[in-house]
Amino acid sequence: MYTNLVLDDRIAEQLAADVSLNSAIQVRCGNSNAFNVTASTLIPLMQMFEMGGVYICASVGAAERIEEFKAIGLTDEDISRIQFVDLVSSGILGGTDVAYTNIHFVDSPIMLESVLLRTLYILRMTTSARNFVFLDSVNALAIYNDDRMLAEYLHTFINTFRQREVLSVILNVPDQTPPLVLANLDLYCTDLIDRGQVLIN
Amino acid sequence: MQSTSNYTRDRCITGIHGLDEILRGGIPHGSTVLAAGTCGSGKTTLAMEFLVRGALAKLPESCAHFTATEPSIKLLENIRQYAFFDMKMVDSGKINVFDMDVLYSWLGLDKASFDLDDVHALIKAIINIVHEIGATRLVIDSVTTLCYKIKSEQLIRDFLFTLGKKLASLGCTTILISEITSASENAHWSSFGVEEAIADGIIVMGDVERMGHLLRFLQVVKMRGTSHSRAKHAIELTPLGVMLTPMLKWGAQHDKTNKVGG
Repeated sequence: MYTNLVLDDRIAEQLAADVSLNSAIQVRCGNSNAFNVTASTLIPLMQMFEMGGVYICASVGAAERIEEFKAIGLTDEDISRIQFVDLVSSGILGGTDVAYTNIHFVDSPIMLESVLLRTLYILRMTTSARNFVFLDSVNALAIYNDDRMLAEYLHTFINTFRQREVLSVILNVPDQTPPLVLANLDLYCTDLIDRGQVLIN
Repeated sequence: MQSTSNYTRDRCITGIHGLDEILRGGIPHGSTVLAAGTCGSGKTTLAMEFLVRGALAKLPESCAHFTATEPSIKLLENIRQYAFFDMKMVDSGKINVFDMDVLYSWLGLDKASFDLDDVHALIKAIINIVHEIGATRLVIDSVTTLCYKIKSEQLIRDFLFTLGKKLASLGCTTILISEITSASENAHWSSFGVEEAIADGIIVMGDVERMGHLLRFLQVVKMRGTSHSRAKHAIELTPLGVMLTPMLKWGAQHDKTNKVGG
């Protein structure tokens, strides 16, 4: 039971209907609903599909993201099924001094190949039969990386994991993502969960 | 009609994640390969993993490592951090580590420079050891340190050519580690300029600088007896061993330099 957040059930329905292990899902969100969309995607993958996986943190540090997940009711056992690749905390003084053992640090978001290799390494170590790789987020990577390089990277990233039957989930805020990158995501991804337009009641 | 050949040389499967794919199946058996790289580029780790994978193969191979840059005890302490390495492989004699300093003393070669007789004595000693333990994988770390004692370029050439030829005749695939100060396009892949011409293969390792961060790379620039990728690959030294992935093309293009100081 996730106490402090109302999950978007339509995302779970879409995942159940459309997604297979070699899918690559582009998940569009806005600034204000990013965490809700993240949780609404990640939790069904863990609960319904009994998946484990890798969560790549480019927008916030992994420890902060873990605390957020705990705050909405994910247990330590749930969290332990995810390995985090943190691209943020090495750039912050004292950022890597954390209590969690399931966080792997990469020096910088520009070390894109290192992120891929570290993720592949974690997947080689994992005991889970079905795995996802959750990239949070393309727009955060776009702050540091050239558009063409990022587009090339996402092409490699998606194909690498599709080939290995690892589900890719790629989060982005469309209006903060370069058009070239967005166009390429449209091309490479097999599915789209679009929560980019946030309704204000 | 054009004739085609189906002949392929036997391979020494390195077992290193991605490297055998780059080499279309592995290093041609009995080759002498120069692993040339800048400091901290992962040469020693790569070479040690090459030995470990041989020792752990279905048909385990006997392996030898001659260390000239650091004492064997320090080398083993450093390599123990990797999950792929197990001290039992050393204790059981699957991987045999020799200090070059000890070998020099044993041969009476405690001197600043080697002449022709000394070089021949050294070759004979190495070959005897390889033969004695039946080693089919050998690493010399580093050939640069060893060659500093050989003052003549011609003598270095003879040393490497003779050593390579004799090791090949024993069916031993060899990695000679070469220390270089720059892995840029115009660099030599060896300190003395002759090693690269003698070697059957050259694997270059270095760092690409990207916005102030150093990204390790590996590139096979030469490998006789096999087709191979010549692309630059990013590498990561993980507890499971070296892992490779093709380097981003746009990432390489934007790098102003791939030199590192040294």
